[in-house]
Amino acid sequence: MQDGIVLAKADELLNWGRKNSLWPMTFGLACCAIEMMATGASKYDLERFGCGAFMATPRRADLMIVAGTVTLKMATRVKVLYEQMAEPKYVISMGSCANKGGPYWQHGYHVLKGVDEVVPVDVYVPGCPPRPEALIEGIMTLQKKMASERLLADKWVKNA
Amino acid sequence: MLSELSSLINSKVPNAKAEVINPEEGSLGEGSILVAPESIYAVCEFLKTNDKYSFNALQVISGVDYLECIEVNYMLGNFDVNNPRQLILKTKLTDRVNPRLDSVCGLWHAANYQERECYDMLGVTFNNHPDHRRILCPDDWEGFPLRKDYMTQKYYRDMEVFPDDKMNYEEREFIVRQKQMEEDLKKRMLERGM
Ligand code: SF4
Repeated sequence: MQDGIVLAKADELLNWGRKNSLWPMTFGLACCAIEMMATGASKYDLERFGCGAFMATPRRADLMIVAGTVTLKMATRVKVLYEQMAEPKYVISMGSCANKGGPYWQHGYHVLKGVDEVVPVDVYVPGCPPRPEALIEGIMTLQKKMASERLLADKWVKNA
Repeated sequence: MLSELSSLINSKVPNAKAEVINPEEGSLGEGSILVAPESIYAVCEFLKTNDKYSFNALQVISGVDYLECIEVNYMLGNFDVNNPRQLILKTKLTDRVNPRLDSVCGLWHAANYQERECYDMLGVTFNNHPDHRRILCPDDWEGFPLRKDYMTQKYYRDMEVFPDDKMNYEEREFIVRQKQMEEDLKKRMLERGM
């Protein structure tokens, strides 16, 4: 680095910015949401990963953490919320319930068997509930995935 | 207190047919009073306005499906510091197709949500209820989940409830067993003429 000039690939620069300012949506469904709140609070401090600013509206969020039991009644709302988010958007499915129905998968007449039935999921975090470390690992996995994406090359240059 | 109260109800409310149900010998639990479903509003009104007992709080309304009848339970209370008391009031509805009861929302506002839940889970309709809708299940849900003969719907708005590709083998066995049990139940009920 000389004379105040930084050389970087446009895609990598973009990704570096995106992955370190992941804004999740304020959105929790059941007991897993308590663990998500603990992850955002002082002890585990999600802001260290640039991910602690929980947005109050889906329009400004990049990340939806589906933390909890997705009932069939809620599933329709989850879908609407996902569609309201601006591209590029990511989904973390947190906990067994959101992954595959969790404790309700045999008798749960009212529970959706996995949130991936309604929205595409990027990272699954197993556990009931997952510890904050597990959620943080899920977020770091997502950041790795984002770092390897080539949005400009794939979406704009190819279609230009 | 129960027998005294039930005879008081019988003398004040015609057609109440109040009787005391004591817990079975050797089992725990409290006794309760069973009344006829048609007189539920009158009985509740009496229990609330009566000077001696005055049950001014409705704690819970719940329901049980016993196949031959649907039982609705009311837990009434009075939190008087010197003389706290409570009462379990029961009524039995024999009509499974269209069970009906009078709403007690006019007496206790707390009955509103409780009756809606009873409707949602067991399909008991409450006459004169100010806001008679489902409370937990979505409005377009089919069936009443706490009924013994409840069958889960296959799809809810194009979402499959038990997707085949997400069930493992043991799981599928369970569902087959459950379906068999439900068929047996239906058959038994037909035999009993219900
Ligand atoms: S996975 Fe466990 S902790 Fe998480 S919402 Fe389901 S039941 Fe609650």
